[in-house]
Amino acid sequence: MKNIVLISASPKINEQSVSKKFLDMAANRLDANAFNKTFIDVRKSIPNHQCEAFETLSKADVIIISFPLYFFCLPGILTQFLQDYYHYYTEHKVVSNKVKVFAIVNCGFPEPEINLEAVRVIKSFSQHINAEFCFGVLIGAGPMMFAAKDAPFMKKPIQKLQDAFSAIAENIKHEQVTRTDNIYISLNFLYYRCIFLFFGDRGWVTMARKNGLKKIELYRKPYC
Amino acid sequence: MKALLISDKEYQCKTYQNLKSLIEEILNTKGLGIELIEVGTDNLTFCRGCFGCWIKKPGECVINDKMAQINRSVMTSDIVIYLNPIVFGQFSANIKNAIDRSLPNMLPFFEIRPDGSTMHPPRYDTYPKSIIIGYGDGLSDEDKQLFIDITKKHRRNIEVLICHETTETIIEAFNEMELGRVDNLL
Repeated sequence: MKNIVLISASPKINEQSVSKKFLDMAANRLDANAFNKTFIDVRKSIPNHQCEAFETLSKADVIIISFPLYFFCLPGILTQFLQDYYHYYTEHKVVSNKVKVFAIVNCGFPEPEINLEAVRVIKSFSQHINAEFCFGVLIGAGPMMFAAKDAPFMKKPIQKLQDAFSAIAENIKHEQVTRTDNIYISLNFLYYRCIFLFFGDRGWVTMARKNGLKKIELYRKPYC
Repeated sequence: MKALLISDKEYQCKTYQNLKSLIEEILNTKGLGIELIEVGTDNLTFCRGCFGCWIKKPGECVINDKMAQINRSVMTSDIVIYLNPIVFGQFSANIKNAIDRSLPNMLPFFEIRPDGSTMHPPRYDTYPKSIIIGYGDGLSDEDKQLFIDITKKHRRNIEVLICHETTETIIEAFNEMELGRVDNLL
């Protein structure tokens, strides 16, 4: 039975992250009778459970990493985790069969293309641990995929997500890599982009007001 | 004028020492004052994605560690140089933590740039000139290109150099740059 390790790498701890929700969607596409599925939450593995997580990872046949885009690449917490795993991998001389790696990257901006460099980083990591990078699922407007999931205009993107995760499941079933091109998913912003940005902006003001701040205070310049 | 150097205290190999000496020499020649901040897991933690720097304490990180000093030093410098070990074609974790946690220096809202992409608007009218210098031994061409793309494809007003160049090439690159604060094109 193949060991599939699903890594969630959002730094948030007190709320369920968007990255974890995408990972759960991907996991649901994998037949529980055919695969061993183990979840690693990077945030919870630091600092005391990292060895346990690395041991699990070293026995993986498939690694799926889901994370949010921070400054156009990986969040620092995931960078640290992969850096530390690479040290573990070299120190313990981990030997494994060809491991398949997939990336699921989501960003708050509408354009899924901006996730590409983060996917390339996961590809580079895969090469460093002698694993085989398959493809990435690049998601724009990630949080909106759940916040507005029941809206009529979300039907197509949600279907695309399901198809992308099915493509991961299908790829895992085969020994050979059956697909290498990335999958890009976002809303059809031809019509909805202005609305998305308007409500996005308003959301920040609403959240700040809950903390007792006026809109003007969001523009503070403490280091002038 | 003041230059701030930010380096990763966990990757201080010989390449780093040579690079740091060279950069200090270049900056000294140009008459710049230098502040060095070394970041590591003992003085800087990761960004928690809480957005407290936007909706609780606008402009300041809510985590109580070295980052408050770093953000103040960044915003009061004329040039900021990140001496960055290249790991898997991107920033090392410690440098990435410093970059992620510079989020308070931007505003939370969205704006559309001339190329059609979305970005958070600047908080300030001017910013220090940012220069990112990557180093590492045995880097593949693919990782070097990725390191350049991560920044150059998405940010304006930032220079990226990779320390596989000769000393003369790096000096020349600095001579060609306008050193000093820049406008707020992010």
